[in-house]
Amino acid sequence: MKRSMLKLLFFGLAVLLINSGCSNAAGNNKEDVQTSGEISEVKTVAHELGEAQITGIPKRIVALEYSFIDSLVTLGITPIGIADDNNPESIIGPIKEKLGNYTSVGSRYEVNFELISSLKSDLIIGDISRHKEVFARLEDIAPTLLLKSHGATYSENLSSFPVIAEALGKQEAAQQLLQKHQETLDELKKSVPENEQRTILPAVVNAKGFYAHTTQAYAGSLIEHIGLKDAIQSDVAYPQLTLEQLIEYNPDVLILMKSGTEETIVSEWSKNPLWEEVNAVKNNQVYEVDRGVWSLSRGIISAETIAKELIALLYP
Amino acid sequence: MSVIESASSRWNTYIVTVIICVALLIAGILLSVSIGVIDVSWKEVTRALLGKAQTKNELVISTIRVPRTLMAALVGAGLAVAGAMMQAVTRNPFASPQILGINSGAALIVVLSIVLYPSMSPTSLVLAAFAGASMGGALVFALGYTNDERAPVNLALAGIAVSMFLTAMTEGFIVLYDNQTQSILFWLAGAVHGGTWSDVYTLMPWMGIGFFISILLSRNLTILSLGDDIAKGIGLKVHRIRLFVACAVIVLAGSAVSVAGPIGFVGLIVPHIVRYIIGVDYRFVIPLSALFGAILLIYADLISRFIAFPFESPVGIVTAAIGAPFFLYLILKRRRAS
Repeated sequence: MKRSMLKLLFFGLAVLLINSGCSNAAGNNKEDVQTSGEISEVKTVAHELGEAQITGIPKRIVALEYSFIDSLVTLGITPIGIADDNNPESIIGPIKEKLGNYTSVGSRYEVNFELISSLKSDLIIGDISRHKEVFARLEDIAPTLLLKSHGATYSENLSSFPVIAEALGKQEAAQQLLQKHQETLDELKKSVPENEQRTILPAVVNAKGFYAHTTQAYAGSLIEHIGLKDAIQSDVAYPQLTLEQLIEYNPDVLILMKSGTEETIVSEWSKNPLWEEVNAVKNNQVYEVDRGVWSLSRGIISAETIAKELIALLYP
Repeated sequence: MSVIESASSRWNTYIVTVIICVALLIAGILLSVSIGVIDVSWKEVTRALLGKAQTKNELVISTIRVPRTLMAALVGAGLAVAGAMMQAVTRNPFASPQILGINSGAALIVVLSIVLYPSMSPTSLVLAAFAGASMGGALVFALGYTNDERAPVNLALAGIAVSMFLTAMTEGFIVLYDNQTQSILFWLAGAVHGGTWSDVYTLMPWMGIGFFISILLSRNLTILSLGDDIAKGIGLKVHRIRLFVACAVIVLAGSAVSVAGPIGFVGLIVPHIVRYIIGVDYRFVIPLSALFGAILLIYADLISRFIAFPFESPVGIVTAAIGAPFFLYLILKRRRAS
């Protein structure tokens, strides 16, 4: 009796501790490769986790991260399915205005395989860091590209654009778009004076914490790309900072990425006399921006939006 | 050996232990306020601790590091005393705030509040977490208490069932609303590094009440820990005492979790260490658990600063790294004994 009670307790605790969150939706629908009458060319596209065999030009594309929506819209294509976390508002304005009708396939974290396969998709684009574990199941539904998005820098993110274009047979258009993008950023870069000394710290703030975006994060690396300096040079993308650390890094400009009007930790910190010690506060250079644009979207359109907004804030 | 002799030798052990603990506690506090990303001198530490903070570094000590350290001490002490009381009344060596639903209850309500009311202020968030902690604890005590004739096993099993249920709900919310909640994960692992003076002030009255009740109950806890039959035999009102213990535990562990997140294992391991040193007399076990709990969390917090230096790691990682092997050791020890 005592033994079994112990075992039961131990088991329960083990379950509590491990807390495996790997609940996968049932239903492993294998779609037959659709063979239409015409003979389609099969091409091989290399991605982060191997190579995808793509037949013809994919028309029904499912995007599982915001940055891939950005890439597709830039190429003039509306994906048929989007993992928008069931929140259409999470897609930023400049992308939404170019986006046609699509079907939400739910959360980016909990992939809805049944819904995706019901869309008769012919190409799925997923994030290497989020969808690695479910790659095989996505492959069963349609050819799948896994590319860098979450936790990747600006250039790593940009490197997925030509891959998507290749899969869609739009290499030439992509080349021109990339060049145009480069020119846009170069033009914005000209606004940054040679002697610019200010360090900039973008940070996501919410009720529970202050998360710095370093040179390894999207916004941080983009800032560096247009000739400005991120206050934290690190290979940790989004470290949580205490007020003490913020004072130590002492950024000259603070960009607070917020969603909505939520109360954040900053209102607590600003009561501390040390808050006034931070250069950005002293210089009156604390700005609030939309977290959707600065942190979630991560693509060509959002990069240009961020860069324009930043230049406008820094050089009014 | 006569009774008097054994009692006086216990007092000796107690006093020696208290002296060592206080020394360790003071050393821990001094280290905690002087180590961080900003280098400070001992002179600055002294000035800041004497309440004469003026320069930037002195203010860093007095407005950031001191409240952080005090919060670690209070949270550690609260969780440890709550764990000691739980182990006494349930006579279950695995009882702790983590197992009996309090941590998971608080976590659930905090996550829910942030998801549903994103504009909630940090202060009201603390209150919500406190309500959740009370709810989780109350739910477990209600289930384990009414199910059967005071069988302590039921309490622990009810606790595990409720904890798993609440944790599952919390994770469900995190998965569904990840945009808002991703950054809560850090808090969910248990962290004291964000502690402010307002957290300390929120914590203090609750901790004061909790410690007061636990000291008042300590003699009864000793008797209860011997078994319900003995307790009833000498006329103890078992039900009523259990109810008081439940309240004290909710107040202590609930308020601790509400500011620091669900820090595990402190409430589990500290009472075992203390009983090993001093025996099962809860007049000694309760105060020593408070001291040990404070020491454990202060040093764990110190270690957590170096895991990913210069960035912070949740202190819960450190307590889990110490606590999990200890938990396995407990199980092995019991298996050998039986």
